[in-house]
Amino acid sequence: MSIKTFQPLPLLERWVQENNELVNKWKEQVGGGDQSQTHLRCCSSEFHKLLRKIQGIPPLADHTQLELTVVYNACVFFTAQSQFSEAELLLKQFTERVLQVHSSSPEDDPAASDPHLLWRTVLKSVGNTALAPCVLRLLCLQWAIWLSTCQLKTIQEFQNELMSVFERLSTEVLDKGRKSSDDPLLVMDPRKLVELLQICTYIAQGSESLSEGQSSEALTALHTASSLPAPRTLIAYTHLLSGSCLAHMGRPQMALQCYMKALETDRCCVCALYRSMLIYRQLGNTQAEIQALRLLQSTLMLPSATEPPTDLLSPSLLLRSKSLSSMLSVPSALFILHNLALKCVLHGRVSEGVEYYLDLLAALQSEDQHGMHAGSPPLPRLPELYLQAGAALLMAQRPADCLALCDEVITTTLELLPERVVLEEPDEECEAGSRALSGGGEDRVGMLLWTAAAYLLQGHCNTHLKDWKQAVTHYARCFNLLVKVRFKKKGFQPQIPSADMVGKQGTDLCVLQRLKGLSLAGRGISFTQTDQLREALRDLQLSLQAFPECATAGLWCGEVLWRLGRTREAAACWEYTWSFTSQSSEESLSVYLQEPQSGPQLDSMELRRRIQELGPLL
Amino acid sequence: MDGRCAVETCAEFGFARTSCTPRIRCGFGTDVLLCTGSDEAYVFSTQERKLKAVLQCPDPVSDLVVSHDKQRLYVACRSGVYCVSSELLLSRVKGSPADASSGPSELKISSESLVIAEEGVLSLLLVGSVLVTLSQRDASWMLALYKSSNYEKLSSFSQVSGDVNSEETKTEIRRSPVLICVHSRDATPSSSSSNSSSDEAPSQGHFHLDPFLFKLLFGVDIALAKSPVILCGLPDGCVCFVPLLLPGSRLRVLHSLEQPVVFVGSSGPGRCLVAVGELGRVVLMKADKGGSAEGRGNVLIEGCVPGPVVCGCVDKNIVYYSTGSDLLLLDISEGKSGEEGQGKDEETRRKMDAALQSPTSLNVCRVVALAPPTCNTAAPGVVELLGLSVRGQLQRMRLPVRTEDSRLSSGSDSQVGRSVRDLLSSIGDVCERASVLKTSIKSKNQILQHLNQVLNISFLLMAGANGAEPPPLQENPIRCRASTSWSRLLQEDSLTLTCVLDNSSAYVLERGWTLSITVFPLCPPPSAGGENLSANFSFPFQSLHPGETLDVSLPLAAAGESSFPVTVSCSLLFSLASLLGEEAANLPALQSSCISLPLNTLTVDWLHALQVSSPKAVQEKITPHATDAIEAFLRSHRIRCGGNAEGGGEGGLKYSASVRVSAELLRDTLMVVKSSHLDPAGTKTAPENVCLSLLEWLLSEGPGGVTTGQKGDQIPMRGSVVHAQSLNRHAVKLTAKEVNVGVEESLNTVEVQVHSSSIAAVCGLHHAVLRRVQTLLQRAPERAASTKRVQSLGLREALRRAEHLLQQIQQSRVSGVFSGGASTEQMSRTLLDVYRELRENPLLII
Repeated sequence: MSIKTFQPLPLLERWVQENNELVNKWKEQVGGGDQSQTHLRCCSSEFHKLLRKIQGIPPLADHTQLELTVVYNACVFFTAQSQFSEAELLLKQFTERVLQVHSSSPEDDPAASDPHLLWRTVLKSVGNTALAPCVLRLLCLQWAIWLSTCQLKTIQEFQNELMSVFERLSTEVLDKGRKSSDDPLLVMDPRKLVELLQICTYIAQGSESLSEGQSSEALTALHTASSLPAPRTLIAYTHLLSGSCLAHMGRPQMALQCYMKALETDRCCVCALYRSMLIYRQLGNTQAEIQALRLLQSTLMLPSATEPPTDLLSPSLLLRSKSLSSMLSVPSALFILHNLALKCVLHGRVSEGVEYYLDLLAALQSEDQHGMHAGSPPLPRLPELYLQAGAALLMAQRPADCLALCDEVITTTLELLPERVVLEEPDEECEAGSRALSGGGEDRVGMLLWTAAAYLLQGHCNTHLKDWKQAVTHYARCFNLLVKVRFKKKGFQPQIPSADMVGKQGTDLCVLQRLKGLSLAGRGISFTQTDQLREALRDLQLSLQAFPECATAGLWCGEVLWRLGRTREAAACWEYTWSFTSQSSEESLSVYLQEPQSGPQLDSMELRRRIQELGPLL
Repeated sequence: MDGRCAVETCAEFGFARTSCTPRIRCGFGTDVLLCTGSDEAYVFSTQERKLKAVLQCPDPVSDLVVSHDKQRLYVACRSGVYCVSSELLLSRVKGSPADASSGPSELKISSESLVIAEEGVLSLLLVGSVLVTLSQRDASWMLALYKSSNYEKLSSFSQVSGDVNSEETKTEIRRSPVLICVHSRDATPSSSSSNSSSDEAPSQGHFHLDPFLFKLLFGVDIALAKSPVILCGLPDGCVCFVPLLLPGSRLRVLHSLEQPVVFVGSSGPGRCLVAVGELGRVVLMKADKGGSAEGRGNVLIEGCVPGPVVCGCVDKNIVYYSTGSDLLLLDISEGKSGEEGQGKDEETRRKMDAALQSPTSLNVCRVVALAPPTCNTAAPGVVELLGLSVRGQLQRMRLPVRTEDSRLSSGSDSQVGRSVRDLLSSIGDVCERASVLKTSIKSKNQILQHLNQVLNISFLLMAGANGAEPPPLQENPIRCRASTSWSRLLQEDSLTLTCVLDNSSAYVLERGWTLSITVFPLCPPPSAGGENLSANFSFPFQSLHPGETLDVSLPLAAAGESSFPVTVSCSLLFSLASLLGEEAANLPALQSSCISLPLNTLTVDWLHALQVSSPKAVQEKITPHATDAIEAFLRSHRIRCGGNAEGGGEGGLKYSASVRVSAELLRDTLMVVKSSHLDPAGTKTAPENVCLSLLEWLLSEGPGGVTTGQKGDQIPMRGSVVHAQSLNRHAVKLTAKEVNVGVEESLNTVEVQVHSSSIAAVCGLHHAVLRRVQTLLQRAPERAASTKRVQSLGLREALRRAEHLLQQIQQSRVSGVFSGGASTEQMSRTLLDVYRELRENPLLII
């Protein structure tokens, strides 16, 4: 080296030196942990400059190897920055120059248009010369570009050549072994690259055929891919995709196995956890589902421990198909937390659920926003969450906290409530969109229903606290709000809604009627406690009119009748209520709309005993 | 209330127009922070009234913000956000208490204090412990939230920029977006910002809104989360908002003004959100509490205020805004006073429209940035505004106290005194404006007048140049004359040409005109090798009134140089730049553009350059370089001994040439010339001696306006012989004598002979004499020449001689060709002989 520097180096050697210096500089900086975009940009422009220098002279066989190496390096940098068109341009120029050197084929006109033909001609013209590995490397890059730009069809058509590239590169380079310092260096090991490409192609193809519904075909390809040498993350992906295939084919248990494998391979594979949670939900295994949710939530709350990619071309760059990204997407931590809280509350783990709700509310008001990205499903509206949390608190015997939460909701919304509001029959098609649209200009009916529900919950709390007077006030406020709503059917004047108009579960109308029924029932029960039986009976009967399936109202109505001495009517009422099996539709309704489990309860056994004592009808 | 405003200038920050909107921000205590769009930001103490510190940043500063605890100062530059500890800044200030009067401390911000490397941050806002940045990237706006503790990016939002004036933004001044934070009044300050008590005057950029309006504008969720809302008013006209806390929220558009947003703020006790656009659109967002059938809602009142809005701020119920030419005050409180009831809405609108149409003028001009008003603690009720003027003056404007008229009339003496002072100051302000306008009008008039003169002169001169036949005698009213004179400087004789620009036109040549004189030899001397030897002289002058003359002198040649005759061409130049005066300085295109008007062309020949010596001084004059006294003596002696005789026998003057002119002709023409040209009091002795008068005329008068310097003196002549010294320092003798020519019938002629030791001098003088005679003859009165005489003048002989000479020339040329280069000397000698023969036996000019 020291001797050499004193003589003017031949151009070729100088370029080799320049190339190697650039590569070494890059590797040093990556070692130092500096892999910023600016640095990438800088390197790529340096290589491009060098390449232009080299391409300034006509293509000659003796420096083609160097040129191809520099093309490779420059292309890697371009691809790493997602500048695919620039990279492809370089590749195209290179193929033309190679064909100039080996100008054996005069028919390059048809080849110029079709990349396949071009590549095939190039491969043929190079044959088995020393140049072949260089050309193969560049073909690898073309492969990478195809993969990154999701041209899976092209890859499919070129499959045979690519497979042979894979074999030749993974063996030949191994054989070569010898390395002299004068050889131009490569910025990324082509063997590593070809391995990466291989598995990424499998994964991309697998996800593609999965999304097209060809699960079994995808499964075989993924199976072979899972045994390839590759980074853990990618292997985990293959397992994950296999699991999804199996789930799609209706084999949830086997799918679970695959997800398990994926998790074992890569601890950070949260989507496997998410998918298994979905399977548990599908299987109805609530405990397992809650468990999975809890794990998922804690994993998501952790700071992401992904190491920065060490190589220029990372798997995330190569795997950009939409089907795969939708497969790998996981809802945000807060969404999972809400799911977890709701599940716990609904399935008897109330105290746990309450904690989760409180965590959620705290998280919403904190400045640390856990990567809530726009793509994930949105959380319910905040008043909704408050009400759910309030209901959970009440279930957990914390009425004071529940009262406070409801107060919050009421003070926020009360001012905004309209004097009268017309609820229009929802159109079938725009039903889904109507809620989402109401972002800026508030959804008035929704707001009214929230306020009413808050009053209802306050009434429940007071019932729980046996403060009957307050309870009556709150239930009355709830009811008074609800009567402001007129229902407008298409082609009719707005009218007071009644129970028979409720078509579907979950609509505003259904909620409205339910709230009416519950508030009237609550007030009726409160009246019974203060021995105002007449008022109680009126409210309970009205409640049953508004919401016939209300079990509490039915039972208490019977009780009031009994106390009034109308035992027969009471018995009939009870029998009628029991004939309604508690329906499954409860799940689809919000927690706060369910019938209260606290407060004065009637013992069914006792009631049945009374009926029996009453004896059969005369 | 008539707005009278006391304005005092606190400081001057002379700044050039920059691409960024200048800003005034509240800083540490009573200090204000200023950024004018340059690389520097300033900390100015309003109490001490002096500049405390200058921050030098690596890039143009777009915004500044001080942390709530006043410990840190964030500076947004083009390359990112820098953080400076205020301790560092203030300690520097305190560190130099001794020289309190001296300049401010300077702090250079290095790249080490870069905390957020986000490019192109235009606005900054600090909400609690969150630093909000707003930047523009390509075609979208990026709102990013950073933790101010570790500068971790919390979240970012982007909004595609509408193109209300995307083209304009590239060329015009780029208006910075407005970034503010809106809190709900009832909301307790969020845990993070608990250290800033809410009942204090909110820090700049933070506004409190009535909770009801807040909920109406931003929704229940944000109100429930008790999240402050970040509002940004973008140059594309959108007013967007995003809650600080609520995760998963997006940047949403609150309203679109469809013109760049100048400022957004809340007025009154938070009952109204005001947004003002650049072209004067004002949007008031109010809550409507009246129970209409459809329920309560927000009321948008849109209106327009006259004039462009450069900057503005809002305080209580008053919006202050500057149109650039005036500061205006807009009271928007009227709408609130309306009672509950139906139709109140309409009434409110009407009132507001009326209010918007009639803002109150405060008579302060050229304000480009405003800081929100502060209530003076010393005098409650007095509102003070801080403004930055176009010229970079920081102004403190004390607004008149807003009182009822009755109270004003019964005001105390001090109040009256103050109002008188206000009145005076506002008169001063108006006076200043008026005088600025007056001077500009005056200068415009002057320029127009000037231009008129210039055009007149141009037409005059162009008519002279383009005229069908330029009258030879009746020349341009504006022209140049010239005279030559010898002067002696540092023992070096030099010929000076004095040009006189004579303005006999009716117009004034004013400032901006330049007399340009170009001197170039008619034929360049062989020594120059054919290169152009022209010299250019420019003489700018202030003004030349009709009848005035301008004398300029320029060196023509030093003795010894002989590139005569020279042509002197004069022209007048007018540069357009001078028309506009100083304002033209920033128009580089104007610098080179000028009008060039040719005047006339003069010729200076050998005769002009003659140094005529008096007969006594002949001896001395011959040796101008009398360095060697002995040599001088010897030479003079020799001359005296050898050549006292007047005949042509002098050894020194071996070359000669002659010109013969008919005496009759001369007599006629010279008389004409003399009577027309010479002063009327001039001697009428001419008829007595034609020879003498010819010589006199030759030496003093010149054709085309060039005269010799000896004009005034009596030309020393001994008989009709003139001794002189030529340009190349050779003795020259000019003689004129009457000769009778003719064989049969003699004709009385005058022969002018030139004798000199230098052939060049002889040639030159001969040429000059011929030229003069030519011009003389041109002027001669028309007269039929008698042809019969001509025959008798030995014309035949002359022709024969000429033929002989031609033969001689041909012979010499033939011999020259045959003998090759050897006999060039011989050839040139023959040619010289021929020349001499030709010159010594001239043809007669009749």
